[in-house]
Parts: sequence; C-alpha cells; structure tokens
Amino acid sequence: MLRFTAIFSAVACAMALASTPAQAQSGERTIKIYGFGAKSGVVRIFGIQSEAAMQAAADKINAAGGVTLGDGTKAKLVIDYLDDRCNAEEGLNALRRIAAQPDAIVAIGPTCSNVAEPVFGILQKKVGDSSDSGIQFPIYTDVAAKGGLAGISEWSFRNVPSEAAMYKSVFEWVASTRKDLKTFWGGVEKDFAHSNATFNVMKDNAGKAGLEVLGQSEWLLADTSFSTQVREMKRANADVVAISAHPFTTCGVLKEMQRQGVKPKLLIGLTSSSSMETLQGCAQQAEGIIIPTSFAPVTAEAKAAAEAVAAKKSNMDLHNAAAWENVFTLKKVIEDQKIMGKPETLAADRKKMRDGLAALKQTQGLLGPVDRAADREAIKPYLFVQAKGGAWTVAHKP
Amino acid sequence: MTYLDLLDLVQSVIDGVLFGTIYALIGIGFTLIFGVMHKINLSYAAASVGAAYLSLLIVQTAPPALVFVAAALVGGVLGALVYVICFRFLPLNKPLATLMSTVGMLLLIEEAIVHATAGMPQNYPAMFVGSNIDIGPLSLRGDLLFVFALGCAAMVGLTLLLKRTRLGLATRAVSQQATAARLCGMNITTTNLSTFVIAGLLGGTAGAMAGAAIGVLSPLLTLPLTVKGLVVTVIGGLGSIPGAIVAGLLVGGFENLFQFWRGVSERDIYVMLLLFAFLVFRPGGLFAPPAGRD
Repeated sequence: MLRFTAIFSAVACAMALASTPAQAQSGERTIKIYGFGAKSGVVRIFGIQSEAAMQAAADKINAAGGVTLGDGTKAKLVIDYLDDRCNAEEGLNALRRIAAQPDAIVAIGPTCSNVAEPVFGILQKKVGDSSDSGIQFPIYTDVAAKGGLAGISEWSFRNVPSEAAMYKSVFEWVASTRKDLKTFWGGVEKDFAHSNATFNVMKDNAGKAGLEVLGQSEWLLADTSFSTQVREMKRANADVVAISAHPFTTCGVLKEMQRQGVKPKLLIGLTSSSSMETLQGCAQQAEGIIIPTSFAPVTAEAKAAAEAVAAKKSNMDLHNAAAWENVFTLKKVIEDQKIMGKPETLAADRKKMRDGLAALKQTQGLLGPVDRAADREAIKPYLFVQAKGGAWTVAHKP
Repeated sequence: MTYLDLLDLVQSVIDGVLFGTIYALIGIGFTLIFGVMHKINLSYAAASVGAAYLSLLIVQTAPPALVFVAAALVGGVLGALVYVICFRFLPLNKPLATLMSTVGMLLLIEEAIVHATAGMPQNYPAMFVGSNIDIGPLSLRGDLLFVFALGCAAMVGLTLLLKRTRLGLATRAVSQQATAARLCGMNITTTNLSTFVIAGLLGGTAGAMAGAAIGVLSPLLTLPLTVKGLVVTVIGGLGSIPGAIVAGLLVGGFENLFQFWRGVSERDIYVMLLLFAFLVFRPGGLFAPPAGRD
C-alpha cells in the first residue's frame, strides 16, 4: 500500500510538473493567439492553411523579438488552432473552449460562414450591455466571407474582402473591355454557403453588366462526375461561364468542359479557387480563368509572406493571407493597448483587445493598406488574377 | 421532352453506368469480405484511395498502366494490413468491435492522406483521355470505357479465382461453413487473409480507376465511395458478387438519371430511396446468396 502510494505520488508530481506553463519553467513569457477553423472535413485545406499562415507570422514576430506586453516585458507568440470541422455546433464548442481558457484574449477564425454566423450570435451583442449574457470575447475572422456577419456583435471583427464589391468590379470591367460578350452561364456548388452566396452576386452583376443570363448548372461540393452539367453548359453555348465552386469541383468541371469541347470566351472563377490547389489540379484546363482576389504575391511583403508560409509546407492564398495579416494586426493591438497577458487581467485584456480592434481605422495588408469600416468589416485592396502558364498572373488592378 | 433532352438523358445514363464500374468494384470488395467473414470492412474504400495515392510514388517514372498495377499491388498489401490490425486479433463474436476498428482505420487512412498531401488534390494519370467513341449523336468516353473494361476484367478474374482455384474453393468453403472448413483442414486465418488481399487488389484497382476517371485524387473521395460501396453491397445482396456488379452499374446509371430528372439537390435523396425500397421490398438484395446450413 505504501509502495503504491509512493509510486502514485511520484506520477502525480511528474504530471503536475509536465502541465506547468512554459513560462514558469523557462522564465520566458508567452502570449497565446487562438485560432479555429476547418482542419478536417471537406474544406480542411482552408483551416490547415490558416494555421500554417498564423504559425509562420508568429515565427516571424518571435524572430524579431516577440510582442511587448503592457508591463514592458517581451513575450513570444504562441498559436493554438482548434478544429471546428466547418460545423456550426463544433464551432460553438470550439469558441466556448477557447473562451474558457485563462490565457485566451482573442481568436482568429472561423473558416466557414455557416460557423461564423452562429458563433457571432452567441457573443454579447452590444459592449457593456449588462442584460446580455453573451460571451465577451473578441473574434477576428480571416476566411468566412458571407456578407455582413461582423454586424452581428460588437465583439466580432473581420478581415475578409467584400466579394460583392469584387465581382461588381469584375463584371463592370468585362462590360467595358469585352463588348463582344453577350451571354452568361453559371456553375455553382449548391451545398456550400460561400459558393451559393457568391454565385448570386455573380449572376446579379452579370445581369447588371448587360449579359443575358441563360441559366446555371449545379453540383455538390464532393461530386466527381459533371457530364450532365457540362452538357447543359454546352447546349447553352454562353460567351461567359462563371464557376462559383472550390478547387476540387472547379477542376472537375473544367476537365469535363475540355472533354466535351466547351470553350467559352471568358471563364470567371470563385475567389477561393485562385489558389495553388487549382493550378496543381488543372493548370491546363484553368488557363485563362479570371478570378478577383485580395492576395497575389505581387508586392515584396506578399512575396515574403508567401515564402514564409511555403516553408511551413503550405501555400498562401487570399484566405490565409488574411490570417497572416490578422496576427500582425493583433500584435499591434496588444502593444498599443498595453495588454498584460496575465490570468488576473484576462477580462480587462479581452476588453482592451476588442476596443483596440474597434479603434483601428486602417491596418497593413499584404497588398496595401486595409481600411476598417464602422461595421467592423474590412475594405481590402484587390486585383484580378488570371491563370497563365501554370501560374497566377495579374490581369487587372482596379 | 425534346429530342435533345432525350439524347442528353440517354448520354447521362450511359456515362453513369460506365462510372458505376467503380462502385461495382468497391461493392465487390465489401461483399467479398462480408461473404467470408460476415463482417463489414468500412475502411475498404479509404484503403482503395490510399492505395491509389501510394501508387503515385512511381508516377514520375512509370507509365499509367504500371501505376494502375502498382495501385492494385499496394491495395493488396493494405488489405492484409487491415485484416491484421482490424480483424485478426479482435473477438469476431463481437460484431461492434470489428466495425468500430474499421471505422477507426477509415479515419486513420483519411488523416494520413491529408497530412501527407496537406489536403491538396493530386493529379492521377489516365489512359485514352480525350478519345471518344461516337455512336450517332451519343458519345462514349474512351477513358471511362477503359475503366469499364478493366473493371469487367477484374470481375472475370475474381470469378475465375473463386471458381477454378483451390484458394477460391477454400474461400467459398469458409464463407459457407467455417467450422466444417476448419475440420477439413483449411486454415481459416490464411483463407481470411487471402480474401482481404484479393479484395485489396480489387480495391487498389478501384481506387486507381476512380482517380483515372475523375482526373485527380482527393481525400474527399473516401466518404462518398464508402457510402456508394455500401449502397451497392446492400442492393446487390450481401455476399453476392454478381449482385455487386449489377448493383454498381445500376446505382451509377440511376444516379445520373435522378440528377437529370430532379437536379443535383434531390439526386442523393432518390438514390437513398432506392436503397430503402430494396431494404423494404427485397432486403436480400438483387441476388441474395443461398443461406448456409449451421
């Protein structure tokens, strides 16, 4: 019995020591930025890439000395990324778990709009409203792009481009430079909120640009056969085909279009498809496709960021570029607001983080300054990229 | 319905039937293992896709035909591994144990693929891409025809193996009455392992054909192929190889028919309704095998 007690005590002590925060053991302070997004499931690539970008940004900041906390000490940035599987319930669980941590002052995420909406919904709507028992925790979104979500709560902020503005610009550009184009056919992933919402934007703006909308083909996110849909497209023989789909099905459709000899005069794609995933899957078939994007490695900062993320065995696109930018913005807010990063100052730190994000009029983006709107959304610079020779090249800078 | 609509309908069904060969191959794997061990191996489709991924290791230096052969061989190896890990040492009188172990294996394989490839789709080689056989206004895709032909050859090969070889005889004996087979001197473990290897060879072929037909391999393929494989297995009749073949082609054809008729949003509803109809009116499937004596 005594021997068992001794062994048990030794094991318990070892476990207690192992769970001691790093700073107590090494004397080095750390400050944690949480993230949550889809690291599994159909859109796992976005969560994986967001985490890689956040880690790469944190490494760059730490290499330059780290973050200066409110008491003047330097702290290393630590990233902790949770998987919400692009599922609303899991997203809510992830947020509650993060908010329960004694070192969580902010989170970057989520990936999916169907998660962002309910997650923002459980935050306190108005700051200081004592009758609202919502979670008082700031969230800074990098990917979920459905319009207007940041308006749900004063604790939610987004660094995502306005797809409505980008596609309005695309179709205005098409109308002014390609007067030979008269008809439009759309292709859409019906079971994904982002693709669906953006397709409505595309179709609407195509109509406003004077294109006759002939119809649309529909498929699901995990579909593998598109012969029926592309045959519909072939029969319509539209001048412009817009594909509102993510890289896997975009490539599937483009390959089927090649098989059936469907060659529209202009191809337009979804923002999320302006990525290496598309070029790796179907560079030849995607040749000439034009996509608006808020990221391309066309500035020195953007190139350096893309290289840093590539070193993490990932690729940078408009989504995880926002995650990179968010980490640097949060570093600035931590330093400007003199956030202490201690368990006893947790509530105050979260409030300072929220107030700091709300006070920002402009942040530094990889393509240039990003203006902050009053509704906590971002007004990001963007350009149009075109797939050419297996790479994304700049087609037009509005 | 106009003449063009009718042509599109027929073309859709033809494309669906040709693609259904892949479902048939996956269904055969499920039904083969069920027929011998009376257990479902839910990791089968994932292992098939995994085998196709591993065959990409030689894609830079080998022609497509060799890549397909490599996928089949790797599938056999993975099949043996699945048997050893998920079935060999688990109590077979506890059906939930092996079922959950294969669920775990499915998730493991999927995660391994995601981590190895960072979730990025990988181009997969195909043969006869771009070549079509035109029959009047209808067109048969050359690469799908090749997949269909290869699938048929694999099924014929499997049938010959089961009917004309001692291994096939042992497999059938164990599936009908394992105790009697053991009493006749057959090694049950070796027979079961061989079954998994054979199913794995088929699975690797199916994974390669899926990659060839679609053009890319993606971790997204594992779950739909698993579901379709199970649907085919049930409709064809658990334990019936001819049933799995016919059901695979039927499911492929009906899938495209429902899509043409009701759109993509309702397609899967009708496929599941077809499954439920079989479960209610013909639960043994199209070709329910005769029950063995105890």
